[in-house]
Amino acid sequence: MRIPRPYALLAEITYRCPLHCPYCSNPTHYCGATASVADPEADGRSADPTTALSTTRAIAEKGELSAEEWKRVIREAAALGVLQIGFSGGEPLARRDLEELVRFAREANLYTNVITSGIGLDGNRVRALRSAGLDSIQLSFQSDESSLADEIAGASAHRRKLDVAAKIRDAGIPLSLNFVIHRRNIDRLRRIIELAESLGAQRVELANVQFYGWAFLNRAALLPTREQVIRAREIAAAAKARLAGTIDIFYVLPDYYETRPKPCLNGWGQRYLTVNPIGDVLPCPTASSAIPYLRFENVRTRSLDWIWQESESFNRFRGTEWMPEPCRSCPQKEIDFGGCRCQAALLTGNAANTDPVCEFSPNRALVDAVLREINSSSDHVRDWIYRVNPNVKSSVA
Amino acid sequence: MRAITISGSVQPRLTSGVRLQTDSVTSKSVLLYPEGIIELNETAHEIVSRCDGRSVAEIVQALAKEYDADAAALASDVRETLFDLHRRKLIEWT
Repeated sequence: MRIPRPYALLAEITYRCPLHCPYCSNPTHYCGATASVADPEADGRSADPTTALSTTRAIAEKGELSAEEWKRVIREAAALGVLQIGFSGGEPLARRDLEELVRFAREANLYTNVITSGIGLDGNRVRALRSAGLDSIQLSFQSDESSLADEIAGASAHRRKLDVAAKIRDAGIPLSLNFVIHRRNIDRLRRIIELAESLGAQRVELANVQFYGWAFLNRAALLPTREQVIRAREIAAAAKARLAGTIDIFYVLPDYYETRPKPCLNGWGQRYLTVNPIGDVLPCPTASSAIPYLRFENVRTRSLDWIWQESESFNRFRGTEWMPEPCRSCPQKEIDFGGCRCQAALLTGNAANTDPVCEFSPNRALVDAVLREINSSSDHVRDWIYRVNPNVKSSVA
Repeated sequence: MRAITISGSVQPRLTSGVRLQTDSVTSKSVLLYPEGIIELNETAHEIVSRCDGRSVAEIVQALAKEYDADAAALASDVRETLFDLHRRKLIEWT
């Protein structure tokens, strides 16, 4: 099989975050809720149920990668062909060496993007990021006004974000906004788009929540109803047409309501790689919690090049050879790549199954049962569990 | 074919946040922007690399001179490429 070159690296430099959004895609098992799913292809060989546990131990004992370790990762990524780096987390501003890493990545000729809640971004840090050569900032908002937004974030954040957006714009750093859309804020989509217009963003992502990490735990509280989804789709389409040429609007579809799966990652191990705070290299940021039986390699013991080319985790679902039916003989297999491995693992217990969102999946009934439950209930507001921070030894003061 | 009307005096520039660079793996020219990468073909590269404050008319002239080509024929290629990149918000008019 021809191994492609990667285009983009997601650098999750910390899992620490001042917000507690219940839809966070970060792993939940760092907080004690260890998943123990056996490898369905292990042929009786007992899979290592301690993988997630040992990651918890590693994060507590060895701590986050140091700035020097990240610089080596960035150098190796650029040598592999990576052109873009996104600094994410958790909240990347929780690390005081973010500016140093941005500068290093920029000097390695990478396109640099910081994906942030904005909390901790004062005028000095905006200027420092600007002078480090930062190309773009993606700022998240939880809703269009502070009472609901702060309830979702589990913190007093909305007003500070408005101030941060103005500072970013004044510094001349291109600004993208990201709103995660779910049952509690989807009816406010029109006002959310108005907020985005007023903040002078170049690009707005209206991303219907995807169910991984904390969002998977909180699915019953977050999944919108069919009626809400239909209305939101119309509002987003009208706004996209109205704002064409002014703001780029990306509406990420709520995939449970689709009949064909999303072309996740443009194929496993084809374009993207993620390095998490302790240095595990993942084909997808949610893979470590969704597919705990895969063995993920670490940059402290292996080169990025070896991991991309040779590791079992990157090769397991590369190409189309691994596919079961109905994917194997499907004309769409090079278009949607069988959907999302993490979603298959979370819903069916086997990452090698067809994404159950697909109408041809033998497991589609699992998704339909969830939709039926949500759409037949009149009880629309339900409690969620807020994300909590992992117990991480920080490598920086 | 659609008619594209872009005034010759307009000065196309890369939108802020968009970077033109060479992909060291393929040696091809790419545009990098938030969450996206597009590879430019040679014609697009020749045009975009001249979006440095010159007007559309000046870009057409420069290309016609450099490649000893007919300016009228070139003009429609240049307009079509710029129109497409503008539609994707990668080029703005100044």
